[in-house]
Amino acid sequence: MDAVVLNSVNKFFGEVRAVDNLSIRVPAGSIYGFLGPNGAGKTTTLRMIMNIIRPDSGDIELLGDRSIDRAKSRVGYMPEERGLYRKMTVAKVLAYFGAIKGVSNAELAERVPRWLERVELSDWADKKVEELSRGMHQKLQFAVTAINEPELMILDEPFSGLDPINTDLLKNIIVEMRREGKTVIFSTHVMHEAEKLCDSILLINKGRAILNDKLAQIKSRYKSNAVCLEAEGDTDFIERLPMVTAVQSENNRLEITLSENADAQELLKALVERVRVQRFEVKVPSLHEIFVSLVGSSNAEDS
Amino acid sequence: MRKILKIAQREFAETVKTKTFILGLVMVPFIIGGIIFFTSRISQGKGGPRPPINVAVTDLSSEIFAEAKNGSFYNYNKSNPDRQILIHELRAGEDPNAIENEGRNQLRQGRLDVYMLVDKEILRGSGEIHVYTYKPKPSNVDLLWTVENLFRNAVVNQRYKLQNLSAELMDKLRNVAIERVEIGSGDREDRVQSEGDRAAKMMVPFFFMYLIFMGIVGMGQHLISSVIEEKGSRVIEVLLSAVSPFQLMAGKIAGLAGIGLTVVSLWAGAAYIAARWQGLSVEITGELMLYFVVYYILGFLLFSSLLAGVGSICNTIKETQGLMMPIMMVFIIPLLAWFKLVQDPNGTLARVLSFVPPMTPMVMILRLAAGSEIWIGEILASIAVLGITVPAAMWAAAKIFRTGILMYGKRPGLREVGRWLKSS
Repeated sequence: MDAVVLNSVNKFFGEVRAVDNLSIRVPAGSIYGFLGPNGAGKTTTLRMIMNIIRPDSGDIELLGDRSIDRAKSRVGYMPEERGLYRKMTVAKVLAYFGAIKGVSNAELAERVPRWLERVELSDWADKKVEELSRGMHQKLQFAVTAINEPELMILDEPFSGLDPINTDLLKNIIVEMRREGKTVIFSTHVMHEAEKLCDSILLINKGRAILNDKLAQIKSRYKSNAVCLEAEGDTDFIERLPMVTAVQSENNRLEITLSENADAQELLKALVERVRVQRFEVKVPSLHEIFVSLVGSSNAEDS
Repeated sequence: MRKILKIAQREFAETVKTKTFILGLVMVPFIIGGIIFFTSRISQGKGGPRPPINVAVTDLSSEIFAEAKNGSFYNYNKSNPDRQILIHELRAGEDPNAIENEGRNQLRQGRLDVYMLVDKEILRGSGEIHVYTYKPKPSNVDLLWTVENLFRNAVVNQRYKLQNLSAELMDKLRNVAIERVEIGSGDREDRVQSEGDRAAKMMVPFFFMYLIFMGIVGMGQHLISSVIEEKGSRVIEVLLSAVSPFQLMAGKIAGLAGIGLTVVSLWAGAAYIAARWQGLSVEITGELMLYFVVYYILGFLLFSSLLAGVGSICNTIKETQGLMMPIMMVFIIPLLAWFKLVQDPNGTLARVLSFVPPMTPMVMILRLAAGSEIWIGEILASIAVLGITVPAAMWAAAKIFRTGILMYGKRPGLREVGRWLKSS
């Protein structure tokens, strides 16, 4: 089953096409990354999924329900523009949002302390929200999003402004949620965050999907035919091997480019016969490199 | 429904805690009480000290000046030592016109505040007292009346003497005591009315209308600041992930209507106790209370939907003020016209204003409290008008609210807001 389905969704702001014919499926039980540069349409898409703004055309299905408002209490949404009632106490804010998301009072009595514990804010339960630091505020915001223990979490830039320790805290909770069979969608423009967490990603630029697949498949599709090698012995012969087109050396590290159809395994076989291999790595491009090359080329097309 | 209730609860609890609310709750009765207290003191009482003023009199009859100076003016100055009126005579020479010009000149030079010329035949009923002033200050207007009255008393006293009448006797003859009794339904429930009772009879309808006004407009301020605060703290999007814009708006309005009813009941209760304590008889029927609640709720819903719309498209309280002005004007009309409406509760003005929706609750409560017989059909019709206007206003407000609360930056123009209304 798919947690979220978008079918040919379009959204204009005046003349600007914020989201352009976007169709995606987010499989239930996975972590799904929305990647893209600033202004790509990530937040607009997430807001449309939450029915906070309406698409101009196309349709959206949330947790198998056409009525988004009905499905809302099964979803947790953390917007990019974060805010809480500053004059209320931490525990009360959490209880209030739980209540308007349909959690019963009896359940809240148990959940509020549990979630405060989970985001390490138990000591602050009776403090006012305005007394919290930025990082604590964000953790509380995360707890507010999760208080209804939703089947689907939608997080808009969840890690921005967090220190590494708190980032890991939230990441661990997200991974735990997947283990419990929940779906998590989050947007970011920091690629290594997505790379570590996501099962699937959507890369959008200027409202258009330019990449939408499982992370493993993307990686294999964009693998380059380059190999990184560190070895002891005379390596001059490598250049003359038939499957090698170029070699660049950097101290004792070699960057080897293979010909189109060559298999890296053949190269390794040839190498172990002549030298002591210390490191052999078939280079896989990072998401960052894929992102830069794709966004760069799509921007170049437009201009 | 539970969500709306939860939002209303929070709105209630959080608003009641704010300083502005508590201040308003306590201050409003104090201010109203203060105004009533001081106006009654000032109108009947004496003002503070002021420098003495100079009055000159040319008495062509030669029979008034001495009486005025030693009689009425002397008595006044004795009982008002810090508000002296200095009176002296400008004797007429051969030519009365010359002395009049002299008086005029002294006025212009500022040596005199008032100059009076008394005609020769004043005691015999013909002729006039001419009172001259030069650029009188507004603050001296009541003083002119005092001077005229004192002088008139002197003239009347001299006329008595001329007719061989005793002044004391005349005072006695003119004095008629009146006892005002309002009888109750039982024989033993008569009560003697004081002057205050009659004033209270006039004030009760006004008070009821004012309660509606404060309950609607005062609470409206809280609604608008609550919307602006949620926009400013960016909490709105978090809320919208849990509830629909309509639920949010409805919850807020319901919460504040609840506070409004509580506050208004407290004020009304306090006023009733105060009136009783002062010995004023004020009768309030159960029927009036029922109408009050109905009109208050409908009026509040109408006003607060307008405000929710206004609040949602603005980013700061300051921005709202420009849009609030025309709305407030409509609410102020009944406050300005209340006296006429109380005196003629079934007149054309009262009837017309009863059917102009934002004013309906205030005007209808005023008319009902004024004790006029209003045909039940007219009451129901006015409620029906509100019953149609309120959902229409809420529908429009919900549309504006939905789009407006997510807009930051420049305030959208009216034309753009109009487009939101047309969109689905």
